[in-house]
Amino acid sequence: MAEIRLENLGHSYDGGTTYALNPLNLTWKDGNAIALLGPSGCGKTTLLNIISGLITPSSGRVYFDGVDVTESDTARRNVAQVFQFPVLYDTMTVSQNLAFPLKNRGISKDEISKRIAEVAELLDLTKYLDERPLRLRSDLQQLVSLGRGLVRKDVPAILFDEPLTVIDQNFKWTLRGRLKELHRVTKHTLVYVTHDQTEALTFADEVVVLNEGSVVQSGSSADLFLQPEHEFVGFFIGSPGMNFLNASITNGLVVLNNQEIGSAKSFGGQNLDSGSVRIGVRPEFLTISNSNGLPVQIDRVENRGGYQLAHFELAGSKTIAKLSNETKVASGQSANLVFDQERTYLFRESQLCGRLVSKVS
Amino acid sequence: MTSTTTTKGVLSPRKKKASLPWSGLMFWIIIAIWMIPVAWLVLMSIRPSADILAGLEIIPSRITFDGYITFLSKDIWYGAYLNSLTYSTLNTVMSVTVALPAAYAFSRFSFAGDKHLFFWLLTNRMAPAAVFLLPFFNMYKAVGLFDTNLGVAIAHMLFNVPLAVWILEGFISGIPREVDETAAIDGYSLPRFFIKIFLPMIRSGIGVTAFFCFMFSWVELLIARTITSTEAKPISAAMTRTVTSGGLDWTLLSTAGVMTILPGILAIWFVRKYIAKGFALGRV
Ligand SMILES: Nc1ncnc2c1ncn2[C@@H]1O[C@H](COP(=O)(O)OP(=O)(O)OP(=O)(O)O)[C@@H](O)[C@H]1O
Ligand SMILES: [Mg+2]
Repeated sequence: MAEIRLENLGHSYDGGTTYALNPLNLTWKDGNAIALLGPSGCGKTTLLNIISGLITPSSGRVYFDGVDVTESDTARRNVAQVFQFPVLYDTMTVSQNLAFPLKNRGISKDEISKRIAEVAELLDLTKYLDERPLRLRSDLQQLVSLGRGLVRKDVPAILFDEPLTVIDQNFKWTLRGRLKELHRVTKHTLVYVTHDQTEALTFADEVVVLNEGSVVQSGSSADLFLQPEHEFVGFFIGSPGMNFLNASITNGLVVLNNQEIGSAKSFGGQNLDSGSVRIGVRPEFLTISNSNGLPVQIDRVENRGGYQLAHFELAGSKTIAKLSNETKVASGQSANLVFDQERTYLFRESQLCGRLVSKVS
Repeated sequence: MTSTTTTKGVLSPRKKKASLPWSGLMFWIIIAIWMIPVAWLVLMSIRPSADILAGLEIIPSRITFDGYITFLSKDIWYGAYLNSLTYSTLNTVMSVTVALPAAYAFSRFSFAGDKHLFFWLLTNRMAPAAVFLLPFFNMYKAVGLFDTNLGVAIAHMLFNVPLAVWILEGFISGIPREVDETAAIDGYSLPRFFIKIFLPMIRSGIGVTAFFCFMFSWVELLIARTITSTEAKPISAAMTRTVTSGGLDWTLLSTAGVMTILPGILAIWFVRKYIAKGFALGRV
């Protein structure tokens, strides 16, 4: 249980030619559940391994509760880590495997068996305690691996590296629920790597989105959804992802398809008087109306049960609007598109730079 | 989207291989053919020399244990036998001990020239043993290892360590790096992890490696003979000295042959479980 602070932390596997992880600064509050979300190869595992001490970073420092642990070895850091695929010692039974992380640390026998019983109970492993792990199904094996990560109480943090990959879909939900419950009770600082956005958004207090070795945004699920700071976040989070439309600004007015749709309001003090810009708007914040709006031709309507998706082309980009079931819309019809201006953002060089506001006449 | 969810990640149990018809019978026929010379040797070892020379007899008419009695009572025989056992065992232990950390290093770390070193180790095995006769003879005379079991064991390491490193590297690479990392996370130092977790995990690999080291050392004749004279003479050298004034002692020679096969059979028997597993997993 500790606050984790990463300062200018970067790592290169090849001595500085390419960086698997570009220098980053992050602070994770004690007791938070943090999700690291990003596509394959973006450096998630690298970051976890640096925190647990398996890798010494090429640059930057790691602090646990303000104490610099960058040079400490794994044993001293005492972090628990669970890998993507089950790592178990087949020469030992399940219960010996669970006892293993405790044994080395001078914990009494009674305490060890108590902890094993608790963890086994939590993960539904009680009836397998005396089996050899390799005899078990792979998802059960992974449960044992999870158990090994959870068995120690005094750890500053627990790191999970895509722990549910090999677990059956249905059980995944149950297990995620239990992990969340466990986290609520124990208040461990929990770092959870995943490339599944639902998993990240439902599980974590704070989601860190990584792409190509850089943090593109870090914040609550709501932040990431409502105000993505980078095109990648808009595209990667949400289903379907954010729509991006090429537009231009003249005299502070945003022009899309030769039609003014509003004024540009700058966020970071950037000059948004003229030039090209990309409009980013989530399908959830597009509606159609009969009266006014941007005329579009609906290509296809897809009914998804609780809602419907209208597909159409706008300014040369395929665009999707997520509409309620009450909206009357059919394939092939023309409609007028209305932007929710509060949630229509402007991006330049993939970075958020402003949003749309009503035209000031 | 459809509402069906696919269940993935659960491995289906390994399919059983279809069995070849008659495979049981075939197996025994092959075993029988293979056993003929061995059985012949055993039969010869319990028949008097005169009978062996007299002619073909499937069922021996006279049985004698003179061969075995001589073998086990004459120092020149059982002594040589013990020598061979000693240096082969010594060599096995030393080769595996040296090869384990080396194989681990090759598998887990990359260091300057590792690829070349690995290849060079293997090329050692490509030179015929005869190439090394002279240097060994000369060196051993100088340092006092000549005619000692330790000397033979060390000489055989030149060939066995590369082989052992190669076999073990395959087994070690079959174990994911995460195993090492998990142990480090659990607070185990490298030496403790190596002894408590890693060695048990690659025990079949060690079994296979030990088997190969032992067998190589056991059957190697040229070097073992050259660098010994009387004290550490191997059994194979003793076997060339069966010509007595009364001619060739066929019985005794066959007895020595049987005794020489014995450790091989025992070695296979003890590691059979590991070998089957080892050949499947490892690279051998
Ligand atoms: N031991 C290593 N040596 C060299 N390069 C490495 C090593 N481990 C990872 N990399 C590289 O560093 C980058 C980041 O890898 P990392 O394993 O951290 O990604 P990841 O986000 O965990 O991906 P995944 O979702 O596939 O697990 C990748 O480009 C990878 O090829
Ligand atoms: Mg990874």
